[in-house]
Amino acid sequence: MTEVINNEKEKFMGLTHAQVFMYLLMTVISILFLFITNAYLFRMNFADWQSLPMPTLLWFNSGALVLASVGMIWAKQGAKSGSPTNIKIGLTAAGIFGTLFTLGQITAWQELNAVGYFLASNPANTFFYLITALHVMHVLGGMVAWLRVSFKVFLGSQNTATEHTIGLLGIYWHYMLLVWALLFSILLTT
Amino acid sequence: MEQSSAYEGQPLHEPKGWWGRYVFSQDHKVIGLQYTCIALAIGLTGMFLSLLMRMQLGFPGLFESIDAGSYYQDVTMHGMIMVIYLLTALFLGGFGNYLIPLMLGSRDMAFPFVNMLSFWFYLLSVLILVSSFFVESGPTGAGWTLYPPQSILEGTPGADGAGIILMLASLAVFIIAFTMGGLNYITTVLQSRTRGMTLMRMPLIIWCIFLATFLGLLAFPALLVGAIMLIFDRVLETSFFMPEIFKGGEVLDYGGGSPVLFQHLFWFFGHPEVYIIALPAFGIISELISCHARKNIFGYNMMVWALIAIAGIAFIVWAHHMYVAGMNPYLGFFFATTTLIIAIPTAIKVYNWVITLWNANIRMTVPMLYCLAFLITFLIGGLTGLFLGNVAVDVPLSDTYFVVGHFHMVMAVSPVLALYGGLYHWYPSVTGRMLDDRLGKIHFWITFIGTYLIYFPMHYIGFLGVPRRYYSNDQYDFIPQSVNDLNQFITICALIVGAAQFILLYNFVVSIYKGKKAGSNPWGACTLEWQALESPPGHGNWDVQLPVVHRWPYDYGLPGATADFIPQNVADEDIT
Repeated sequence: MTEVINNEKEKFMGLTHAQVFMYLLMTVISILFLFITNAYLFRMNFADWQSLPMPTLLWFNSGALVLASVGMIWAKQGAKSGSPTNIKIGLTAAGIFGTLFTLGQITAWQELNAVGYFLASNPANTFFYLITALHVMHVLGGMVAWLRVSFKVFLGSQNTATEHTIGLLGIYWHYMLLVWALLFSILLTT
Repeated sequence: MEQSSAYEGQPLHEPKGWWGRYVFSQDHKVIGLQYTCIALAIGLTGMFLSLLMRMQLGFPGLFESIDAGSYYQDVTMHGMIMVIYLLTALFLGGFGNYLIPLMLGSRDMAFPFVNMLSFWFYLLSVLILVSSFFVESGPTGAGWTLYPPQSILEGTPGADGAGIILMLASLAVFIIAFTMGGLNYITTVLQSRTRGMTLMRMPLIIWCIFLATFLGLLAFPALLVGAIMLIFDRVLETSFFMPEIFKGGEVLDYGGGSPVLFQHLFWFFGHPEVYIIALPAFGIISELISCHARKNIFGYNMMVWALIAIAGIAFIVWAHHMYVAGMNPYLGFFFATTTLIIAIPTAIKVYNWVITLWNANIRMTVPMLYCLAFLITFLIGGLTGLFLGNVAVDVPLSDTYFVVGHFHMVMAVSPVLALYGGLYHWYPSVTGRMLDDRLGKIHFWITFIGTYLIYFPMHYIGFLGVPRRYYSNDQYDFIPQSVNDLNQFITICALIVGAAQFILLYNFVVSIYKGKKAGSNPWGACTLEWQALESPPGHGNWDVQLPVVHRWPYDYGLPGATADFIPQNVADEDIT
């Protein structure tokens, strides 16, 4: 087959394939975090629960994640206005701050471990490590997508899909920030 | 003409060479077949394990290699394999992949590469599962529900070795595979329908697979969370689910956890899982019954809304699996009520199938035989569910053979009957040849009658209070000799039914080469998969142009038309 014509017309709410995929993926990830926080809130009512102090570093990490999101907005604006420089600046910032967040989370684990809050010593600790690790894994997933987009942008194969792709990547990164904000506030207040 | 931007004017991931065409294929039809073959292979393993269990129950001690430990391992692996790795994978991965793009008039799934990855992750999960048979101390024997604390404590088969870890890891990989496939199915259904294929013109099986996929995407994360936490408890000695445990006078390192938390997580997945299996079976039956009775399906809109209702209610019934775990009576009342309410949309579907058959021109083909068998079996399985859904009746029947009889009728035999019906129906679409009718009927009657002879007696054994999951019934005064006689009878029937499945396998293989040529539409069906240019459909499914849909998929016996069916892609003005 050399040429095909797709007259698929029945679209759902005018969304693209990738948008539907992304929104569904975010729904599934939300469900995953919903279950883990549910289990957290259930388990914390038991007698052996001892909350652990949140390292100050987590605030800096949160800041890094916010800046990563700002980077994505910058890149999106760049794509909108047709400015490759702004796309590159935005993507680079997002990548740097995303990496800083990941490294910061790992450092926070090490800090806690160093002062005796081991993973298995209390369920509150276990949940902290598990929840933050699950979130970091999803951020890393975002980093993989970021790498793909960055390769395209920096190697010059820019096409019309870029704005759409950067927009979608941005949505995922903002979503990761939102998930972190919710998780962090639960961890802080309980 | 409006065109989609997805593959506009571009060749569709044209396969490169033999490997690209048959192994690392991105074609949904090949992926569907790959899923089907692997699922059937692991399903045969599951059936073999069930026969080992039956040998022990019918003829205790005949095989020295079956001891209590290996019996529990067989029970566990049989359950898990059949529910997840056979039925879920075959219905959604097999039928879903093959049928969704073809029936919707699209060229392929929305994301063919992710679709291919989905299959390879599924294969990996199966391999991890199978590998647990070969590790020291073997696979887990914790029962398919994997309840902690016993599933990870020394003494349970597979708990001190890698068995339980491999089981949980395999489930996690399966869930990743399912998520990749599931996101694809939903995106394809929403986005890749051809012109005229509105949501309310989709064949019911597509609705069923679509909703079952939604159920899976929302339910599997609960199992994933449970599996990850259980791995933590087993490997890192955390205490998510593990209470304080005294063993042989010693206090173990665990303490404070809640085993019931795991039960909630497991069954929040586990109950929708029943419908993840049942809905595609409903879909197959809807297609087959209409086509082989040459009559439009009764109450299409009602069928769709009933499906949506079932899918919704499926999420608020899970704790009916936990009545004996210790539950507030009001909570029990709530779950009993929701459980009974789900019978309403389910009954709507059964009535509609029966009404579809009323005054129809029923052709007693092999797929139709399977449809009729499904209707009866699902009804019987559903009725025994009414007993178990009620707390007061469930408590004495819990963990007896009544439960085994019930769930095998409703979610083992029923879906398998639908599955076989589907395989007979769509085999010509896949291979271009018909399966042998005589062998098909022999296989049907042995399977149908045989399964009744296996599972009906179990209800009576359950009434006597014989507990399930017991390795041996020898040493209990309350179990009469008649139970052992009945167990022998069941085992002999199970062996015959098990052997009969090789008739299907033989039929499958031989018919590829020697089956009667099917032509493009052997059953005279209206749906699009039979209207493709080539038979079997080639890569890309359609000619240069995609088909355009003008009608719903059940126009059989339309008044005024000469043909007894009008395919979906025929316009009103072309009807003769």
